Amino acid sequence: MWAYFKFEFLQFISNRKNIAIYVILLFFSCDFALKIAPTYNPIERVDVSEIEARYLTREAFLNNVVIDEGTHYLSSFAVSIFQEWNEYEGERLEAIKQHNLKEYAEATSKWYTYADKLTFPNAMGVLYYNPGYYTFGNIYATMDGHYAYLYSASRYKAYTEGKSNLSVNVFEERTALQTLQRLLNSYLPLILIVSCILLTVDIVLKDRRNPTLLQGLPLSDWRKLIVKGLVSLLGSLISIIPLSVGLLIIGGRNGFGDFDLPVPIYSSGKDAFSNILMGEYLVQNMLFIVFWFLFIISLLLFVSVLLKNEFANLVVGFMFVIAEFIYFERGLGAVWNVQWYPTSYVQVGQIISGYRNFLYGSETLTFGSGILVMGLCTFIFLVFTFLISNQRKFKLL
Amino acid sequence: MIELKNIAVQFSGRDILKDISVMFNSGEIIGLVAPNGTGKSTLMNVIMNYINPNTGKVILNDELEYTNKKNEVKMHQLVSMMPDQSDLYNQISGKEHLKIYSSMWNSNPKLIDNTIQELGMASYIHKSTGTYSLGMRQRLCFAMQIVSDTQVMLMDEVMNGLDPTHVELISQILVKKKSEGKTIIVASHLLENLEKYADRIFFIKNGELILVNSISPGFEEREITIVRISEMTDKLKEEISKEFPETKVQSLSNGTTLLDVRGYDSGELGNILAFLKENQITEFSFGKVTLNDLYSMFYQEE
Amino acid sequence: MWKMLRTFLILEKSNKKNIFACIIVALFVFGLVLFVKTEDLGNSVIEKSGEYQSLSSALNRFQNVDATDSGNGSDLYKNLVLQQQFVAKQRMALTMNLPELFLDTAIDLANLRAQSFDMEGFDDVAIYLPSKVENQLGSVFYQYMKETGILLTIDSLSFFQFLAYLFGVLGSVWFIFMCIYSCGIMIEEFQHTSLIKGYPIAFDKYVVAKCTSSMLIVGVFLLELFVCSLPLVYFKGLGNPSYPIAIFNGIFEAYPIYKYIGLSILYMISIAIFAILLSVILNVLLKNMYLTLFLELLLFIFPMLFPNMMNLVPYNPFNYLNFPNILNGQTLDLENPVILNSTYGLLYIWMSIAIMVIAVKLFLTTGKLKRV
Repeated sequence: MWAYFKFEFLQFISNRKNIAIYVILLFFSCDFALKIAPTYNPIERVDVSEIEARYLTREAFLNNVVIDEGTHYLSSFAVSIFQEWNEYEGERLEAIKQHNLKEYAEATSKWYTYADKLTFPNAMGVLYYNPGYYTFGNIYATMDGHYAYLYSASRYKAYTEGKSNLSVNVFEERTALQTLQRLLNSYLPLILIVSCILLTVDIVLKDRRNPTLLQGLPLSDWRKLIVKGLVSLLGSLISIIPLSVGLLIIGGRNGFGDFDLPVPIYSSGKDAFSNILMGEYLVQNMLFIVFWFLFIISLLLFVSVLLKNEFANLVVGFMFVIAEFIYFERGLGAVWNVQWYPTSYVQVGQIISGYRNFLYGSETLTFGSGILVMGLCTFIFLVFTFLISNQRKFKLL
Repeated sequence: MIELKNIAVQFSGRDILKDISVMFNSGEIIGLVAPNGTGKSTLMNVIMNYINPNTGKVILNDELEYTNKKNEVKMHQLVSMMPDQSDLYNQISGKEHLKIYSSMWNSNPKLIDNTIQELGMASYIHKSTGTYSLGMRQRLCFAMQIVSDTQVMLMDEVMNGLDPTHVELISQILVKKKSEGKTIIVASHLLENLEKYADRIFFIKNGELILVNSISPGFEEREITIVRISEMTDKLKEEISKEFPETKVQSLSNGTTLLDVRGYDSGELGNILAFLKENQITEFSFGKVTLNDLYSMFYQEE
Repeated sequence: MWKMLRTFLILEKSNKKNIFACIIVALFVFGLVLFVKTEDLGNSVIEKSGEYQSLSSALNRFQNVDATDSGNGSDLYKNLVLQQQFVAKQRMALTMNLPELFLDTAIDLANLRAQSFDMEGFDDVAIYLPSKVENQLGSVFYQYMKETGILLTIDSLSFFQFLAYLFGVLGSVWFIFMCIYSCGIMIEEFQHTSLIKGYPIAFDKYVVAKCTSSMLIVGVFLLELFVCSLPLVYFKGLGNPSYPIAIFNGIFEAYPIYKYIGLSILYMISIAIFAILLSVILNVLLKNMYLTLFLELLLFIFPMLFPNMMNLVPYNPFNYLNFPNILNGQTLDLENPVILNSTYGLLYIWMSIAIMVIAVKLFLTTGKLKRV
């Protein structure tokens, strides 16, 4: 079996298609690191002039306003909120000017908590989140701002308590590990899963080109399939190598960050966010992605023995990746019971960070339920593959 | 009829075919015999223009040559090569393969059913070829070429994987096609079988095409020309040479010894018989040179 | 050539790939129906309230001042305040079901916005407002409605409305789908070289026959789009085939849906032929279906990765393969705007097809095929 593994792996690695996939991944990762990453412009920046402008305007207002019976109710409201708000603002300004990052983090955390506490209920209808969220056509701007403010509050709080080296790059999530974290929250899982599909799509059916060579091997079809699956898994994991080149480039430019950096995790409780360590977050992601690989590989093995057509493999694989777009709707996760579809877990990083739950307005899309659903599906696919491959009339090729 | 004129092919400096000029006539079955890798397939590929020869040309019916793509199409209408059985479409039936070939060459559609009948393929012809055995696939490939009904037919290893009954069956069909005026060029390793129906047989050696008759003039005569002794010690061979100094003794690589008895009368043959019997040799026969013998003789020298 | 075509039809009939592709097309249509339903596309009430909020954010960047004509606010500020009023009016028109008022206000709003683009300080608030192109498309759309007296409908799931949306979405991924469908077109044939090489037919005719048979299947796909959408006639009604869609085609104009669909089909057929021929050539050159696919997709996204190339080489047919984007005028919104005209696009695609056919005729022959 080991010999067959080596044989398959050698074929896998010398397959021109697979080499092309690795090269393309390398190209994209370098392109990302050199061209796209530097243009990253977060809405929640460390922007001294912005803080200062806001601070001075409000300070001037507080200093000049005269409260009496005739005061407009909005003015009184402003006085009541700006006092505490500007206190934090002042601390932030002072700290960043002194380059005292710990204090800046502490004040910023309080600032975000306070700002969200006022803005989210928006009792007077005059408070808004950072205007960056209210782009044309975004009807969920308030929700986005709410999430981002609480996320930032939680993050900055952990910076104060943690022992990581702080820097503006860390605050703006520009370091290599934080970039990775952001990517895991967006399209990186999709890229990895699609790569896995492309790497696996012909692993069974390529043998049809020289059937007599392989039919006689003293190995049952089922075992051959398992070995092929393992080769594919290994190959899919290798695709991380070209992608990490981009990470090294970013690390060289903006610092790597460290594994103790906090990653806020959303849950719909009272506190909304709790922090876990970057290392833990990445390990969870890695584990989840491995489960996705297993899911895709077992799915494709199953389709391969069932339909014996590469085009069908490709299409079925992609359907599982894009299916969520069809039924995804903000706030309606519970209605659709999305936690039972494996396709709901495509956005691995968002599942673990809880953002997906936030979008769906549900509580059920968790790391645990994901592993359970994916594992169960993988198991079912494998059982069916096993049953099919053990039928007496079945031929692998 | 098809003529090869000064055909030469070189692969990386090595001569595969050297200045071959030969004419294959209508109503003739040509046998090509050579060990693997001596240029049989190359020759056929040249005839099909799958390989461009370094020099020389292929002339069909005194007029057509592979000078441009239009002519190539015209010539392929008249010259066909048997398909490889690994190239069959596994997902469609044998019948559909035959239909494809029939319509591609615009041949008489009746040929399809006739050929199926003749080759005894009716029981499986409607199943998809993916389920066929080696012999079934081989018969299908042969049937496809028969259905294409071209004037010149090239068959490489036509008898591969066939049982003796079908070898016989196909031989009969080849003879029938010959009588219809086809030029059939067959490469085969079943020498006994080839000998039966081929009009001319060529060996290929060192890139040259050698007519069997020219190395063994008596090959086509119907009389006793040889005594074949399957096993004999060297000592005995010497004794024979002493006893019958006129008789040529030849040992083949497969252990057989041949005594050349061309032109001997029955008395002389009787002497030889008596000598063999005296020396307790039981396994021998009188007859003529077989293609097998010639093959061993011809290719053992190196 | 007919005999070759007949051969291919026998083969295509038994090709499982076609069945899967048909299933995919059907699933795509049904998925899109579901998507339109869940997203509630075309619901103007939701869209307008989003617009209102965006405008509020834009106004937030200004000091609250007197916005009347005689007031001391900047022109842009006054303009935005007025815009917000119009949007509010539209929301009211929608809730009170006054389509004509909605239409009139929409035209006024578009005019107002058209003025705002050139005002001082517009760049600061640009993200809160539709782009110039979007506004112009909207303006053309409402103007057309006004002229023809067609009433605004928000039922995006009626048959024709849905078809228009379907062709818009499918159009942008059509080339990708065609690449995946056709990337192995010749590789499959290479498994059978000893049959093909001997056929008494020239390679260019062979390719043409192959393309024709594939195009027949593509025709089935296109037909399928209509057939699969038919149930909507029963559930949501036929809709109005003359309902306008605003497009950019050198100039901004409104096409009725049937014209838009016709143009889309023309484009899709051209793209299909283009993709199939490209696959044929790349298959022969690269001898690997996945390399073919990757190269095709790279060529497809190349203009998106490097938009400046579009300016430089406007006749690159790959600029036009995402034709709904061209019709949306999206290339006008680029940093270096480039006017890509969809009619010229068709022309370039057809010229490329002609070049590829000539290349096949000149350089490729069956005789040299090798088994892979």
